[in-house]
Amino acid sequence: MREMRIAAVADIHLGEDLRGHYRKKIEGIERRADVLLVGGDLTRHGTISEARVVAEELSGLPIPVVAVLGNHDYHSDRNEEIVDLLRDAGITVLDDEGAVVPIDGVRLGVAGGKGFGGGFAGKCASEFGEPETKAFVRHTKEIAERWRRALKELDADHKIVLSHYSPVKDTLMGEPPEIYPFLGSYMLAEAADAEGADLFIHGHAHAGTEKGVTPGGIRVRNVALPVIKHAYTVYCLNGDHC
Amino acid sequence: METPHYVAARVQRALAEDDRTTELGIRVDVRGEEVYLRGEVSCDERRHQIENVAREATPGLRVHNEITLVEVREPGEEEHL
Ligand SMILES: [Fe+2]
Ligand SMILES: [Fe+2]
Repeated sequence: MREMRIAAVADIHLGEDLRGHYRKKIEGIERRADVLLVGGDLTRHGTISEARVVAEELSGLPIPVVAVLGNHDYHSDRNEEIVDLLRDAGITVLDDEGAVVPIDGVRLGVAGGKGFGGGFAGKCASEFGEPETKAFVRHTKEIAERWRRALKELDADHKIVLSHYSPVKDTLMGEPPEIYPFLGSYMLAEAADAEGADLFIHGHAHAGTEKGVTPGGIRVRNVALPVIKHAYTVYCLNGDHC
Repeated sequence: METPHYVAARVQRALAEDDRTTELGIRVDVRGEEVYLRGEVSCDERRHQIENVAREATPGLRVHNEITLVEVREPGEEEHL
């Protein structure tokens, strides 16, 4: 099978002040990659005008673009409109679901969404006590459940999970440990490990590190722009001749 | 004098919640009357706005803007998995 070149980035946080800047950096991406995955925090405040900049910067590329939203994209309560706007611009937006992107006859399956926090095994919040705490934990649990189903239903040659929040602590190294519960949840890793995937892409942890692995052995990559410091990073799957 | 700890917390909240900034990743340290801002942002405009919001939240204190600009580089080498 042909190798698959996955370009990934997150936390581009676009706005009027950065119009045109990011696009310049991704010109020619089709020579380096087969698909571009964008792991959320596309905007700063989650406004429609910022989302329009995102659509302009990411649309019309010669390769497919798959994205999820991040917490910033929810800030103005316009997340649903933002999803529609990006989809109208030809971007595949995953909202706790999966999609198959055909690339030269190879089916690349991508599943995921924003994700959420809660912390990591042994040091995590649980569905106990006040309703606010329960709601927080339940939100992540429901998301993880939907991802598990989405992954299971994906009929693809390669599977990737695309998220904003982190599934592991490894890629948070550099962030203050006190805020880990707001940066991700082990439940996201558990969902991926249960169904299997080739790669788990996330962002959100601007001060974190790029590389990690889930307890089940799935490679995790934090592609937040301040972490990778490049317009995107390319990961080759099935790399016998990539 | 207000406890530095609470000043830092107030600045951090202002940076996160003020519409001019919405920055969650800026480190704020307060030592006496000095306020230090550290972190990385992608343009000069944002760096200035962060300083403005921090100044407004800390009247009478000196704000040191040590935030660095990150220039997004062209894509580098690929990784084979
Ligand atoms: Fe972000
Ligand atoms: Fe985020």
